[in-house]
Amino acid sequence: MIELTSLKKRISAWIDERYEISNLISYMKKKSVPKFRATFWYYLGGITLLLFIVQVVSGILLLMYYKGTENLAFESVQFINTKVYFGWLIRSIHSWSANLMILGAFLHMFSVFFLRSYRKPRELTWYTGFILLLLGFGFGFSGYLLPWNELAYFATKVGTDIVKQVPFVGHYFMVLLRGGEEVTGATLSRFYGFHVAVLPAIFTVFLTAHLMFIQRQGIHEPEDWKNKSESERSYMPFFPNFLLRDLLLWLIVINILAILAVFFPWELGQKANAFAPAPKGIRPEWYFMFMFQTLKYIPGKVWFIDGELLGIGFFGIAGFLWFMLPFWDKRTKIGIRNKLLNYIGIIVIMFIIVLTILGYVLE
Amino acid sequence: MKKIIYIVALLFLVIGINQVFSKKKPIIVGDDLCENCHLTLEDKNLLPAQAYATDIHKSKNITCADCHGGDATTYDMDVAMDRNRGFLGVPKPQDRMKMCIKCHSDEKRMKRLGSALPTDQFKKLQNSVHGQPSSNNRGYIADCISCHGVHNIASPGNPASTVYATKIPALCGNCHSNANYMKMYNHKLPIDQVEKYKTSLHGIQNSKGDITVAQCASCHGHHDIRTAKDPKSSVYVSNIPEVCSKCHSDAKKMSKYNLPTDQYSKFVTSVHGVALLKKHDMSAPSCNSCHGNHGAVPPGVESISNVCGTCHNLNGEMFSKSPHKAAFDKEHLPECETCHGNHGIMPTTDNMIGTGSETTCIKCHDESDKGKGNEYAYEMRRLIDSLKADEKNVLSLLGQANALGMDVADAMFAMKDIRQVLIQTRTCIHLANFRVFKETLQPGFEITKKAAIEGKNAIDDYHFRRTGLGFATIIVTILALSLYLKIKKIEKVQKEKS
Repeated sequence: MIELTSLKKRISAWIDERYEISNLISYMKKKSVPKFRATFWYYLGGITLLLFIVQVVSGILLLMYYKGTENLAFESVQFINTKVYFGWLIRSIHSWSANLMILGAFLHMFSVFFLRSYRKPRELTWYTGFILLLLGFGFGFSGYLLPWNELAYFATKVGTDIVKQVPFVGHYFMVLLRGGEEVTGATLSRFYGFHVAVLPAIFTVFLTAHLMFIQRQGIHEPEDWKNKSESERSYMPFFPNFLLRDLLLWLIVINILAILAVFFPWELGQKANAFAPAPKGIRPEWYFMFMFQTLKYIPGKVWFIDGELLGIGFFGIAGFLWFMLPFWDKRTKIGIRNKLLNYIGIIVIMFIIVLTILGYVLE
Repeated sequence: MKKIIYIVALLFLVIGINQVFSKKKPIIVGDDLCENCHLTLEDKNLLPAQAYATDIHKSKNITCADCHGGDATTYDMDVAMDRNRGFLGVPKPQDRMKMCIKCHSDEKRMKRLGSALPTDQFKKLQNSVHGQPSSNNRGYIADCISCHGVHNIASPGNPASTVYATKIPALCGNCHSNANYMKMYNHKLPIDQVEKYKTSLHGIQNSKGDITVAQCASCHGHHDIRTAKDPKSSVYVSNIPEVCSKCHSDAKKMSKYNLPTDQYSKFVTSVHGVALLKKHDMSAPSCNSCHGNHGAVPPGVESISNVCGTCHNLNGEMFSKSPHKAAFDKEHLPECETCHGNHGIMPTTDNMIGTGSETTCIKCHDESDKGKGNEYAYEMRRLIDSLKADEKNVLSLLGQANALGMDVADAMFAMKDIRQVLIQTRTCIHLANFRVFKETLQPGFEITKKAAIEGKNAIDDYHFRRTGLGFATIIVTILALSLYLKIKKIEKVQKEKS
């Protein structure tokens, strides 16, 4: 036992001599995380990061067999599902993890919203986080089409059709997305390119910035701590306490992910056929459902404005306002509690939940 | 009473006045001055009057003027044939049928003339292929006189009639055997029907004066003849069995020829009859597909495999190469018919082969068979049953895997080939070659073997996934628990230190 301990010490010394790990550890030990009733919400960013890592790893494994062409896409996913050793598991994990990642990002964003963690000096962390969420949507939208199945094909058709409604540049954007006037093999190659090259490149930049901001500024303390004395505040060291708890949650998430992937494997459906009639139940991924359902409720024409355009305009403005939150939330900025924001947040969450449920129930 | 007497008297008065002032006076037979005059003339002016002496219309008091118009009461030719007085002369081709339909489409007039003939001939003719405009557009392709003649028309039952049963083949042949004439209407239509008919049993009997046997009109109809492609035609492929059965199911008619009358009733329930009459599969055979039509004769004992082979060509070809061919010929056994029957052919089943009492093989290859026929028949049946049982078991296995959510689509797809293998094997039975039979069936066993492995692997994989998940979950849970304990331990130490 003594020999083993001395071996461990010798290895640590050998590494430390070359890479100065002890400096990093002592830095992490100095870092602390506020310990209070809402500390749990601080773990959501880490969980989302874990799911992103799972996406990257499983995505790279899928890349080895996936073929992004109209004639081979569906067959290659079918091959991954049936012939590749553990292919079914990798694909199922990739799909489940993608959805959980978006869910994690949503929860993380709302926790930041309600804890007011976006306020000065963390505005850029909020902005980069919001952009990362949009990029996550982009990953989801582009990845949905890649298996080239019937449902994805028609959902992409509907989704890209909506883009066309944007005034002046809508048609141009639609053609840019589709690689032509229709959803074809060109759209598939384009989406494949976005999914595995363009979006990951942009995502990495914003993710690095987002993480760097957090490391640099530390974790946000609750708003009411400003009025508390030092003795009333409680902290836990980032290393090892917070990091180990983070790891514990990661293990639980991995377990959940594995159970979902095995017991609820992701279906492939029928191969897309442009000449076939649109199947019943065309729907986007669940995180677009609230917007999709809202568009259904807006009449074709509202006064002289096209209904769909109005819907896009509404979500565009709402999204922009959400993005610009640190800029216009003056009360929080000056340290005054902004109750109205809590109500807005609850309404937004209720809106998303109700519309999503309606989307599935009324299908 | 007085009133009634007045009314009757008035009625007689009106009829009397009408008779007195009527322009046309009734002509008594022998008083038809047209006929009298033409009988004194020569050649073409004489012939119609001569021929008319025996015409059925003359016996009904129908005069020349009834068709040709004019005044039959005067010998003055200028008056009698005055066009101003309604004389028509020789009617134009497009008008001549009007002369016939004037009476033959008028039910009352026909009754008055004492005729029970139907009055729908013209209507039928108009819808028939012959009722279409002729190539010179001056009439119909064929009208009344084309078949019934003119001036010497007799009842069809009268041997003097141009449409008497024994005269009909030649009558139809006048046009239908004339290549130049037929080219004007349907150049694809053969012109050898009459020649073929003469060689058929129907034709031979007809030439002997037998008017019971079928001639052209028996099958094609009379006035309402349509092309064989027309579903309303009596000789449209699906109508043929009924047309033939009109005579061949008539026991009275057939007793003369000593022929059975159950062919039609057998055919309608046969695999061919069901396909043709119930499933409306127009490629299914009708009577004429095997017996021929114009040259109808029953297929001979040695020609059956050729006849059946027209459609079942592979089976026919294989049978010809088989040892059964020589054996059947030697025993004078009808080829396909010995095993499958003729008019009442039922769908083939695997029960036909083997050595059971219901099999067809046992008819020749019973246990006393000195050759290997009995043994091979037994083996063939055993192997086919074995493949079918394997197919059933493997499909059940794949179904289980599918129900567990495993993807076995490839194996399912491969299993579809078993059907093909069985079809090929059943076909190659006609070769009566056990080695070829086994070779043909073997791929089926290979497919089931491979699919069974895939099915079993899929089910094993299903269990492996869950077992693997169980182990992984336990390991991760142990790790998580250890980590939790470690955190607690660290925090405890930290608390003690602080």
